[in-house]
Amino acid sequence: MNVMKAIYLFVVLVFQVALANAEMASIDDQDLSEVTGQSGVYLTGEVSINEQGGPLSDTYFGDCSDPAKVCGARISLQTEQDGGWFVLDNIKGSIAFEGLTLQVRNITSGFGGDGALFNRDVIEIGMPESLRFDDFQYTIATSSTGRPSDAGFEQVDMMTVEMSGEVTLEGNLLVFPTP
Amino acid sequence: MPRIWKAVLLTSLYSVLALLSGAVNAELKSLSDQDLSEVDGKGVGLVFEDFIFSHGHDPSDDKVFRITGLTSTSGEAVVVNVDQLYIARSGSNYGSTLDPVNLGRLDNPYEIGLLDGNGLGLNDEAVLQISGPGKVDASLGYDCLDTAAVQGSGECSSRPASGGWANGERPDLGLELEVNVGSETPRNLSIHAKSAVFDGSYLRLWGDGTEQKMAAEFRLNFYTPELEISTCSQANQSCGSAVKMQGFAMELAMGHTFQPLYLGADAISGGLTIEIAKITHEYINNIDVVTGQSDGTAEGDVAYAFFNDYYSNPEYRSNITMDNIEVSGTSLGSARIEGLLVQYLDVEFRDLEP
Repeated sequence: MNVMKAIYLFVVLVFQVALANAEMASIDDQDLSEVTGQSGVYLTGEVSINEQGGPLSDTYFGDCSDPAKVCGARISLQTEQDGGWFVLDNIKGSIAFEGLTLQVRNITSGFGGDGALFNRDVIEIGMPESLRFDDFQYTIATSSTGRPSDAGFEQVDMMTVEMSGEVTLEGNLLVFPTP
Repeated sequence: MPRIWKAVLLTSLYSVLALLSGAVNAELKSLSDQDLSEVDGKGVGLVFEDFIFSHGHDPSDDKVFRITGLTSTSGEAVVVNVDQLYIARSGSNYGSTLDPVNLGRLDNPYEIGLLDGNGLGLNDEAVLQISGPGKVDASLGYDCLDTAAVQGSGECSSRPASGGWANGERPDLGLELEVNVGSETPRNLSIHAKSAVFDGSYLRLWGDGTEQKMAAEFRLNFYTPELEISTCSQANQSCGSAVKMQGFAMELAMGHTFQPLYLGADAISGGLTIEIAKITHEYINNIDVVTGQSDGTAEGDVAYAFFNDYYSNPEYRSNITMDNIEVSGTSLGSARIEGLLVQYLDVEFRDLEP
Protein backbone atom coordinates (compact mmCIF):
# COMPACT_ATOMS: atom_id res chain seq x y z
CA MET A 1 0.00 0.00 0.00
CA ASN A 2 2.89 2.32 0.91
CA VAL A 3 4.47 1.65 -2.48
CA MET A 4 1.22 2.62 -4.23
CA LYS A 5 1.12 5.87 -2.20
CA ALA A 6 4.69 6.68 -3.21
CA ILE A 7 3.97 6.05 -6.90
CA TYR A 8 0.83 8.19 -6.65
CA LEU A 9 2.82 11.00 -5.04
CA PHE A 10 5.46 10.75 -7.77
CA VAL A 11 2.84 10.96 -10.55
CA VAL A 12 1.26 14.02 -8.90
CA LEU A 13 4.67 15.73 -8.56
CA VAL A 14 5.60 15.10 -12.21
CA PHE A 15 2.17 16.34 -13.27
CA GLN A 16 2.59 19.54 -11.25
CA VAL A 17 6.05 20.19 -12.71
CA ALA A 18 4.60 19.64 -16.19
CA LEU A 19 1.77 22.06 -15.36
CA ALA A 20 4.16 24.67 -14.04
CA ASN A 21 6.24 24.41 -17.19
CA ALA A 22 3.13 24.81 -19.28
CA GLU A 23 2.45 28.22 -17.62
CA MET A 24 5.83 29.66 -18.68
CA ALA A 25 6.32 30.66 -22.30
CA SER A 26 9.15 32.75 -23.66
CA ILE A 27 8.34 35.99 -25.52
CA ASP A 28 10.21 36.23 -28.79
CA ASP A 29 11.42 39.41 -30.50
CA GLN A 30 8.42 39.37 -32.82
CA ASP A 31 5.97 39.43 -29.86
CA LEU A 32 7.95 42.14 -28.07
CA SER A 33 8.06 44.35 -31.16
CA GLU A 34 4.26 44.51 -31.07
CA VAL A 35 4.26 46.10 -27.58
CA THR A 36 3.91 49.78 -28.42
CA GLY A 37 2.70 51.62 -25.28
CA GLN A 38 5.19 54.49 -25.37
CA SER A 39 3.12 57.62 -24.99
CA GLY A 40 3.68 57.89 -21.24
CA VAL A 41 1.38 58.73 -18.37
CA TYR A 42 -0.77 61.84 -17.84
CA LEU A 43 -1.81 62.43 -14.24
CA THR A 44 -4.40 64.73 -12.76
CA GLY A 45 -5.34 64.73 -9.09
CA GLU A 46 -5.81 66.43 -5.78
CA VAL A 47 -4.10 65.61 -2.51
CA SER A 48 -5.85 66.77 0.66
CA ILE A 49 -4.26 66.55 4.09
CA ASN A 50 -6.31 66.98 7.25
CA GLU A 51 -8.49 69.73 5.74
CA GLN A 52 -11.07 69.29 8.48
CA GLY A 53 -8.70 67.99 11.14
CA GLY A 54 -7.30 64.53 11.68
CA PRO A 55 -8.64 61.56 13.61
CA LEU A 56 -6.63 62.38 16.76
CA SER A 57 -8.04 64.64 19.44
CA ASP A 58 -6.20 65.41 22.66
CA THR A 59 -4.71 68.39 24.49
CA TYR A 60 -2.51 69.29 21.46
CA PHE A 61 -4.38 68.03 18.39
CA GLY A 62 -8.03 68.81 17.87
CA ASP A 63 -10.60 69.56 15.23
CA CYS A 64 -9.96 72.67 13.14
CA SER A 65 -12.69 74.72 14.87
CA ASP A 66 -10.61 74.97 18.06
CA PRO A 67 -8.01 77.74 17.49
CA ALA A 68 -6.09 76.72 20.63
CA LYS A 69 -5.07 73.39 19.08
CA VAL A 70 -3.35 72.31 15.90
CA CYS A 71 -5.32 70.10 13.54
CA GLY A 72 -2.85 69.24 10.77
CA ALA A 73 -0.59 66.28 10.24
CA ARG A 74 2.82 66.05 11.93
CA ILE A 75 6.09 64.55 10.72
CA SER A 76 9.01 64.38 13.16
CA LEU A 77 12.55 63.29 12.41
CA GLN A 78 15.40 62.60 14.84
CA THR A 79 19.05 63.00 13.80
CA GLU A 80 20.70 62.10 17.10
CA GLN A 81 20.25 59.21 19.51
CA ASP A 82 18.26 60.46 22.54
CA GLY A 83 18.26 63.94 20.98
CA GLY A 84 15.46 66.31 19.95
CA TRP A 85 13.38 66.22 16.80
CA PHE A 86 13.01 68.21 13.57
CA VAL A 87 9.29 68.72 12.99
CA LEU A 88 6.99 69.62 10.11
CA ASP A 89 3.82 70.32 12.05
CA ASN A 90 0.25 71.33 11.34
CA ILE A 91 0.39 70.22 7.69
CA LYS A 92 -3.03 70.72 6.15
CA GLY A 93 -4.81 71.91 3.04
CA SER A 94 -4.85 70.56 -0.47
CA ILE A 95 -2.70 70.55 -3.61
CA ALA A 96 -4.49 70.05 -6.94
CA PHE A 97 -2.59 69.42 -10.17
CA GLU A 98 -3.59 68.79 -13.75
CA GLY A 99 -1.42 67.31 -16.46
CA LEU A 100 1.61 65.92 -14.64
CA THR A 101 3.27 63.74 -17.30
CA LEU A 102 5.70 60.84 -17.06
CA GLN A 103 7.48 59.33 -20.06
CA VAL A 104 10.77 58.00 -21.38
CA ARG A 105 12.49 60.35 -23.82
CA ASN A 106 15.48 59.83 -26.08
CA ILE A 107 17.72 62.92 -26.10
CA THR A 108 19.93 63.31 -29.17
CA SER A 109 19.96 67.08 -29.73
CA GLY A 110 19.36 70.48 -28.11
CA PHE A 111 20.57 71.60 -24.65
CA GLY A 112 23.05 74.05 -26.18
CA GLY A 113 24.97 71.21 -27.89
CA ASP A 114 24.94 68.83 -24.87
CA GLY A 115 22.07 66.69 -26.26
CA ALA A 116 24.01 65.23 -29.21
CA LEU A 117 26.91 64.24 -26.92
CA PHE A 118 24.54 62.79 -24.30
CA ASN A 119 22.57 60.64 -26.81
CA ARG A 120 20.70 58.54 -24.19
CA ASP A 121 17.26 57.89 -22.74
CA VAL A 122 15.99 59.78 -19.70
CA ILE A 123 12.83 59.66 -17.60
CA GLU A 124 10.96 62.93 -18.20
CA ILE A 125 8.59 64.22 -15.53
CA GLY A 126 6.57 67.06 -17.07
CA MET A 127 5.50 69.73 -14.59
CA PRO A 128 1.70 70.04 -14.41
CA GLU A 129 -0.08 72.54 -16.66
CA SER A 130 -1.90 73.75 -13.58
CA LEU A 131 -0.84 73.57 -9.92
CA ARG A 132 -3.10 75.02 -7.27
CA PHE A 133 -2.78 75.20 -3.49
CA ASP A 134 -5.92 75.53 -1.35
CA ASP A 135 -5.31 76.78 2.21
CA PHE A 136 -2.11 74.74 2.27
CA GLN A 137 0.08 75.36 5.31
CA TYR A 138 2.83 73.86 7.43
CA THR A 139 4.90 74.89 10.45
CA ILE A 140 8.66 74.37 10.64
CA ALA A 141 9.74 73.60 14.20
CA THR A 142 12.07 71.66 16.47
CA SER A 143 10.88 69.84 19.55
CA SER A 144 12.18 67.92 22.53
CA THR A 145 10.07 64.80 21.95
CA GLY A 146 8.69 63.11 18.85
CA ARG A 147 5.05 63.22 19.95
CA PRO A 148 3.28 66.10 21.69
CA SER A 149 1.77 63.57 24.09
CA ASP A 150 5.21 62.45 25.38
CA ALA A 151 6.45 63.61 28.81
CA GLY A 152 8.56 66.81 28.80
CA PHE A 153 7.24 68.00 25.40
CA GLU A 154 8.66 71.42 24.41
CA GLN A 155 8.47 72.81 20.89
CA VAL A 156 10.11 75.85 19.26
CA ASP A 157 8.04 76.93 16.24
CA MET A 158 10.18 78.79 13.70
CA MET A 159 7.57 79.83 11.19
CA THR A 160 4.33 78.87 9.50
CA VAL A 161 4.08 79.03 5.72
CA GLU A 162 0.64 79.51 4.13
CA MET A 163 -0.03 79.11 0.40
CA SER A 164 -3.17 79.40 -1.74
CA GLY A 165 -3.92 79.96 -5.40
CA GLU A 166 -2.43 79.09 -8.76
CA VAL A 167 1.36 78.67 -8.85
CA THR A 168 3.51 79.25 -11.95
CA LEU A 169 5.55 76.07 -12.39
CA GLU A 170 6.75 75.11 -15.86
CA GLY A 171 9.29 72.77 -17.38
CA ASN A 172 10.46 69.17 -17.30
CA LEU A 173 12.48 67.31 -14.71
CA LEU A 174 14.84 64.88 -16.45
CA VAL A 175 16.05 61.92 -14.36
CA PHE A 176 18.88 59.60 -15.43
CA PRO A 177 21.67 57.45 -13.94
CA THR A 178 25.04 59.19 -13.73
CA PRO A 179 28.40 57.52 -14.39
CA MET B 1 8.99 -2.09 1.03
CA PRO B 2 10.79 -4.41 -1.46
CA ARG B 3 14.26 -3.10 -2.34
CA ILE B 4 13.44 -2.83 -6.04
CA TRP B 5 10.56 -0.40 -5.36
CA LYS B 6 12.77 1.69 -3.09
CA ALA B 7 15.27 1.99 -5.91
CA VAL B 8 12.55 2.98 -8.39
CA LEU B 9 11.17 5.58 -5.99
CA LEU B 10 14.57 7.13 -5.25
CA THR B 11 15.47 7.23 -8.94
CA SER B 12 12.14 8.92 -9.67
CA LEU B 13 12.64 11.51 -6.99
CA TYR B 14 16.14 12.28 -8.26
CA SER B 15 14.68 12.63 -11.76
CA VAL B 16 12.09 15.12 -10.52
CA LEU B 17 14.74 17.11 -8.64
CA ALA B 18 16.95 17.07 -11.71
CA LEU B 19 14.02 18.27 -13.81
CA LEU B 20 13.28 21.09 -11.38
CA SER B 21 16.89 22.14 -11.15
CA GLY B 22 17.02 22.05 -14.95
CA ALA B 23 14.07 24.42 -15.07
CA VAL B 24 15.76 26.72 -12.54
CA ASN B 25 19.00 26.77 -14.54
CA ALA B 26 17.07 27.76 -17.62
CA GLU B 27 15.73 30.86 -15.80
CA LEU B 28 19.10 32.12 -14.56
CA LYS B 29 21.83 33.41 -16.79
CA SER B 30 25.26 34.43 -15.59
CA LEU B 31 26.44 37.99 -16.23
CA SER B 32 29.69 38.25 -18.12
CA ASP B 33 32.36 40.86 -17.40
CA GLN B 34 31.21 42.59 -20.58
CA ASP B 35 27.62 42.81 -19.26
CA LEU B 36 28.76 44.02 -15.86
CA SER B 37 31.01 46.68 -17.35
CA GLU B 38 27.94 48.33 -18.84
CA VAL B 39 26.32 48.83 -15.41
CA ASP B 40 27.70 52.16 -14.30
CA GLY B 41 24.98 54.03 -12.39
CA LYS B 42 26.59 55.72 -9.37
CA GLY B 43 23.82 58.16 -8.65
CA VAL B 44 20.75 59.84 -10.05
CA GLY B 45 21.21 62.93 -12.23
CA LEU B 46 18.55 65.65 -12.26
CA VAL B 47 18.21 68.37 -14.89
CA PHE B 48 15.38 70.89 -14.96
CA GLU B 49 14.60 71.81 -18.56
CA ASP B 50 12.71 75.01 -19.53
CA PHE B 51 12.04 75.69 -15.84
CA ILE B 52 10.06 78.61 -14.38
CA PHE B 53 8.76 78.96 -10.82
CA SER B 54 6.86 81.95 -9.48
CA HIS B 55 4.35 82.49 -6.71
CA GLY B 56 3.38 85.53 -4.71
CA HIS B 57 0.87 87.02 -2.31
CA ASP B 58 -1.91 88.80 -4.22
CA PRO B 59 -5.36 88.72 -2.56
CA SER B 60 -6.98 90.36 -5.62
CA ASP B 61 -5.98 87.26 -7.64
CA ASP B 62 -6.91 84.76 -4.87
CA LYS B 63 -3.25 84.10 -4.18
CA VAL B 64 -1.92 83.70 -0.66
CA PHE B 65 1.77 83.22 0.18
CA ARG B 66 2.77 84.35 3.64
CA ILE B 67 4.88 83.46 6.65
CA THR B 68 3.27 83.71 10.08
CA GLY B 69 4.05 82.60 13.63
CA LEU B 70 6.72 85.28 14.14
CA THR B 71 6.67 87.81 16.99
CA SER B 72 8.42 91.19 17.25
CA THR B 73 10.57 92.06 20.29
CA SER B 74 7.62 94.05 21.67
CA GLY B 75 5.42 90.96 21.43
CA GLU B 76 3.40 91.99 18.38
CA ALA B 77 2.51 89.40 15.73
CA VAL B 78 4.57 89.67 12.54
CA VAL B 79 3.03 88.60 9.23
CA VAL B 80 5.42 88.42 6.28
CA ASN B 81 3.67 88.47 2.89
CA VAL B 82 5.83 86.90 0.19
CA ASP B 83 5.03 89.24 -2.70
CA GLN B 84 7.05 87.11 -5.10
CA LEU B 85 9.43 84.17 -5.05
CA TYR B 86 10.80 83.35 -8.49
CA ILE B 87 13.33 81.27 -10.42
CA ALA B 88 13.59 82.18 -14.11
CA ARG B 89 15.99 82.90 -16.96
CA SER B 90 18.56 85.59 -16.39
CA GLY B 91 17.39 89.00 -17.59
CA SER B 92 14.07 88.64 -15.72
CA ASN B 93 14.12 92.31 -14.62
CA TYR B 94 13.35 91.56 -10.94
CA GLY B 95 11.05 88.67 -11.85
CA SER B 96 8.74 90.71 -14.07
CA THR B 97 9.72 88.80 -17.27
CA LEU B 98 9.57 85.06 -16.69
CA ASP B 99 11.36 83.08 -19.41
CA PRO B 100 12.46 79.43 -19.05
CA VAL B 101 15.91 78.46 -17.83
CA ASN B 102 17.74 75.12 -17.49
CA LEU B 103 19.09 74.06 -14.10
CA GLY B 104 21.99 71.64 -14.42
CA ARG B 105 23.60 70.28 -17.59
CA LEU B 106 23.24 66.75 -18.98
CA ASP B 107 26.99 66.20 -18.42
CA ASN B 108 27.05 68.10 -15.09
CA PRO B 109 23.61 67.67 -13.49
CA TYR B 110 22.31 68.12 -9.98
CA GLU B 111 22.95 64.73 -8.43
CA ILE B 112 21.87 62.44 -5.59
CA GLY B 113 24.24 59.56 -5.00
CA LEU B 114 26.00 57.28 -2.54
CA LEU B 115 29.75 57.59 -2.01
CA ASP B 116 32.15 55.04 -0.54
CA GLY B 117 33.35 56.52 2.75
CA ASN B 118 36.69 54.65 2.50
CA GLY B 119 37.85 57.19 -0.06
CA LEU B 120 36.80 60.12 2.16
CA GLY B 121 38.45 59.10 5.43
CA LEU B 122 35.24 57.50 6.75
CA ASN B 123 36.06 53.80 6.97
CA ASP B 124 33.18 51.42 6.20
CA GLU B 125 30.63 54.23 6.02
CA ALA B 126 28.21 54.93 3.18
CA VAL B 127 27.86 58.66 2.50
CA LEU B 128 24.77 60.22 0.91
CA GLN B 129 25.69 63.15 -1.33
CA ILE B 130 23.36 65.77 -2.79
CA SER B 131 25.33 67.98 -5.13
CA GLY B 132 24.98 70.83 -7.59
CA PRO B 133 26.63 70.95 -11.02
CA GLY B 134 30.35 70.26 -10.76
CA LYS B 135 33.35 72.45 -11.40
CA VAL B 136 35.50 71.52 -14.38
CA ASP B 137 38.99 72.23 -15.72
CA ALA B 138 39.43 75.92 -16.55
CA SER B 139 40.15 75.03 -20.20
CA LEU B 140 36.62 73.57 -20.51
CA GLY B 141 34.59 75.73 -18.11
CA TYR B 142 33.14 79.21 -17.96
CA ASP B 143 33.89 82.19 -15.71
CA CYS B 144 31.53 81.88 -12.70
CA LEU B 145 30.56 85.59 -12.62
CA ASP B 146 30.71 86.87 -16.20
CA THR B 147 27.30 86.88 -17.95
CA ALA B 148 29.10 86.81 -21.33
CA ALA B 149 31.61 84.09 -20.37
CA VAL B 150 32.90 81.84 -23.14
CA GLN B 151 34.33 78.32 -22.88
CA GLY B 152 37.83 78.23 -21.44
CA SER B 153 37.34 81.28 -19.20
CA GLY B 154 36.78 79.63 -15.80
CA GLU B 155 35.91 76.55 -13.73
CA CYS B 156 32.10 76.69 -13.66
CA SER B 157 30.24 74.15 -15.85
CA SER B 158 26.95 76.14 -15.93
CA ARG B 159 26.78 78.44 -18.96
CA PRO B 160 25.32 81.94 -19.07
CA ALA B 161 22.38 82.64 -21.39
CA SER B 162 23.66 83.64 -24.84
CA GLY B 163 22.49 84.13 -28.42
CA GLY B 164 23.34 80.52 -29.27
CA TRP B 165 21.87 79.03 -26.07
CA ALA B 166 19.01 81.22 -24.93
CA ASN B 167 18.10 79.28 -21.75
CA GLY B 168 21.54 79.10 -20.20
CA GLU B 169 21.97 77.32 -16.86
CA ARG B 170 22.26 80.41 -14.64
CA PRO B 171 18.88 81.50 -13.23
CA ASP B 172 17.73 84.80 -11.78
CA LEU B 173 16.47 84.22 -8.20
CA GLY B 174 14.39 86.60 -6.16
CA LEU B 175 12.41 86.93 -2.96
CA GLU B 176 10.25 90.01 -2.29
CA LEU B 177 8.83 90.35 1.22
CA GLU B 178 6.37 92.76 2.79
CA VAL B 179 6.80 92.78 6.57
CA ASN B 180 3.73 93.72 8.64
CA VAL B 181 4.36 94.35 12.35
CA GLY B 182 1.13 94.98 14.28
CA SER B 183 -0.54 98.15 12.97
CA GLU B 184 2.71 99.74 11.67
CA THR B 185 3.08 100.73 8.00
CA PRO B 186 4.27 97.67 6.05
CA ARG B 187 7.98 97.59 5.21
CA ASN B 188 9.56 95.89 2.21
CA LEU B 189 12.64 93.73 1.99
CA SER B 190 13.73 92.21 -1.31
CA ILE B 191 16.67 90.05 -2.32
CA HIS B 192 17.50 89.51 -6.00
CA ALA B 193 20.40 87.55 -7.50
CA LYS B 194 21.14 87.81 -11.20
CA SER B 195 22.52 84.90 -13.25
CA ALA B 196 23.20 82.76 -10.16
CA VAL B 197 25.61 79.82 -10.13
CA PHE B 198 25.89 77.06 -7.48
CA ASP B 199 28.58 74.93 -9.14
CA GLY B 200 30.74 72.87 -6.80
CA SER B 201 28.18 72.93 -3.93
CA TYR B 202 27.37 69.72 -2.08
CA LEU B 203 25.90 68.28 1.10
CA ARG B 204 27.25 64.98 2.41
CA LEU B 205 25.43 63.10 5.17
CA TRP B 206 26.51 60.03 7.13
CA GLY B 207 25.96 58.39 10.49
CA ASP B 208 28.62 59.11 13.13
CA GLY B 209 28.75 55.86 15.12
CA THR B 210 30.86 57.33 17.95
CA GLU B 211 28.66 60.36 18.60
CA GLN B 212 25.42 58.56 17.60
CA LYS B 213 24.49 61.58 15.47
CA MET B 214 23.85 62.43 11.85
CA ALA B 215 27.02 64.13 10.60
CA ALA B 216 27.33 66.46 7.63
CA GLU B 217 29.83 68.21 5.37
CA PHE B 218 28.40 71.24 3.59
CA ARG B 219 29.93 73.29 0.79
CA LEU B 220 27.89 76.17 -0.58
CA ASN B 221 29.32 77.95 -3.60
CA PHE B 222 27.23 80.89 -4.75
CA TYR B 223 28.30 83.27 -7.51
CA THR B 224 26.29 86.14 -8.94
CA PRO B 225 27.33 89.21 -10.95
CA GLU B 226 24.92 91.25 -8.81
CA LEU B 227 23.24 90.52 -5.49
CA GLU B 228 20.81 93.25 -4.52
CA ILE B 229 19.13 93.77 -1.13
CA SER B 230 16.59 96.56 -1.21
CA THR B 231 13.64 98.10 0.60
CA CYS B 232 11.83 98.83 -2.65
CA SER B 233 8.12 98.05 -2.92
CA GLN B 234 7.02 95.36 -5.33
CA ALA B 235 5.62 97.93 -7.74
CA ASN B 236 8.97 99.72 -7.96
CA GLN B 237 11.70 97.10 -7.57
CA SER B 238 14.38 99.24 -9.23
CA CYS B 239 14.08 102.10 -6.67
CA GLY B 240 17.24 103.68 -5.30
CA SER B 241 17.18 102.41 -1.69
CA ALA B 242 19.26 99.34 -2.35
CA VAL B 243 22.57 97.75 -1.47
CA LYS B 244 24.10 96.19 -4.59
CA MET B 245 26.96 93.75 -4.28
CA GLN B 246 28.56 93.36 -7.70
CA GLY B 247 30.76 90.39 -8.52
CA PHE B 248 29.58 88.50 -5.44
CA ALA B 249 31.28 85.16 -4.77
CA MET B 250 30.70 83.04 -1.66
CA GLU B 251 32.47 79.74 -0.99
CA LEU B 252 31.21 78.51 2.37
CA ALA B 253 32.83 75.43 3.98
CA MET B 254 30.97 74.03 7.00
CA GLY B 255 32.33 70.80 8.49
CA HIS B 256 34.33 68.03 6.90
CA THR B 257 34.85 64.35 7.42
CA PHE B 258 37.20 64.66 10.44
CA GLN B 259 35.39 67.67 11.96
CA PRO B 260 31.72 67.15 11.01
CA LEU B 261 28.78 69.53 11.18
CA TYR B 262 26.03 68.19 13.44
CA LEU B 263 22.47 69.46 12.99
CA GLY B 264 20.00 68.48 15.69
CA ALA B 265 17.49 69.59 18.28
CA ASP B 266 17.89 69.84 22.05
CA ALA B 267 16.17 67.00 23.91
CA ILE B 268 15.05 69.30 26.77
CA SER B 269 14.34 72.78 25.34
CA GLY B 270 13.45 71.58 21.84
CA GLY B 271 15.65 74.28 20.26
CA LEU B 272 17.63 73.82 17.03
CA THR B 273 21.31 73.03 17.59
CA ILE B 274 24.18 73.55 15.12
CA GLU B 275 27.57 72.21 16.13
CA ILE B 276 30.97 71.87 14.50
CA ALA B 277 33.14 69.67 16.69
CA LYS B 278 36.50 71.04 17.85
CA ILE B 279 39.45 69.86 15.85
CA THR B 280 41.48 67.08 17.41
CA HIS B 281 43.60 64.06 16.49
CA GLU B 282 44.26 60.74 18.20
CA TYR B 283 47.98 61.62 18.56
CA ILE B 284 47.45 65.28 19.61
CA ASN B 285 49.45 64.63 22.81
CA ASN B 286 52.51 63.92 20.67
CA ILE B 287 52.63 67.58 19.60
CA ASP B 288 54.84 69.81 21.78
CA VAL B 289 52.56 72.44 23.32
CA VAL B 290 55.32 75.09 23.37
CA THR B 291 56.95 74.73 19.94
CA GLY B 292 53.92 73.30 18.11
CA GLN B 293 56.24 70.69 16.55
CA SER B 294 56.21 66.88 16.61
CA ASP B 295 57.85 65.33 19.70
CA GLY B 296 59.95 63.24 17.31
CA THR B 297 57.89 60.05 17.47
CA ALA B 298 56.19 58.55 14.43
CA GLU B 299 52.81 59.39 16.03
CA GLY B 300 53.92 62.98 16.53
CA ASP B 301 54.91 63.25 12.87
CA VAL B 302 51.48 61.92 11.80
CA ALA B 303 49.69 64.41 14.04
CA TYR B 304 51.91 67.30 12.86
CA ALA B 305 51.23 66.45 9.19
CA PHE B 306 47.50 66.33 9.94
CA PHE B 307 47.39 69.75 11.64
CA ASN B 308 49.75 71.27 9.07
CA ASP B 309 47.32 70.23 6.33
CA TYR B 310 44.33 71.43 8.38
CA TYR B 311 45.76 74.94 8.80
CA SER B 312 47.17 75.31 5.28
CA ASN B 313 44.63 73.56 3.01
CA PRO B 314 42.35 76.19 1.37
CA GLU B 315 39.66 73.48 0.91
CA TYR B 316 38.63 73.86 4.57
CA ARG B 317 38.32 77.65 4.45
CA SER B 318 35.41 79.94 3.54
CA ASN B 319 35.67 83.00 1.31
CA ILE B 320 33.28 85.86 0.53
CA THR B 321 34.40 88.43 -2.01
CA MET B 322 32.69 91.38 -3.69
CA ASP B 323 34.19 93.43 -6.51
CA ASN B 324 32.11 96.47 -5.61
CA ILE B 325 29.52 97.47 -3.01
CA GLU B 326 27.08 100.20 -3.97
CA VAL B 327 24.76 101.75 -1.39
CA SER B 328 21.94 103.86 -2.86
CA GLY B 329 24.08 104.64 -5.91
CA THR B 330 27.31 105.43 -4.01
CA SER B 331 30.21 103.07 -4.67
CA LEU B 332 32.16 101.88 -1.61
CA GLY B 333 34.71 99.77 -3.47
CA SER B 334 35.52 96.10 -3.01
CA ALA B 335 35.33 93.89 0.08
CA ARG B 336 36.92 90.55 0.83
CA ILE B 337 36.70 88.04 3.64
CA GLU B 338 39.13 85.26 2.84
CA GLY B 339 40.47 82.16 4.57
CA LEU B 340 37.82 81.96 7.29
CA LEU B 341 38.33 78.69 9.20
CA VAL B 342 35.61 77.43 11.56
CA GLN B 343 37.50 75.68 14.38
CA TYR B 344 34.55 75.24 16.73
CA LEU B 345 30.89 76.20 16.58
CA ASP B 346 28.06 75.53 19.03
CA VAL B 347 24.75 77.31 18.40
CA GLU B 348 21.47 76.63 20.17
CA PHE B 349 18.17 78.33 19.35
CA ARG B 350 15.66 78.88 22.10
CA ASP B 351 12.21 80.33 22.47
CA LEU B 352 12.27 83.89 23.93
CA GLU B 353 8.73 83.55 25.23
CA PRO B 354 8.62 82.65 28.93
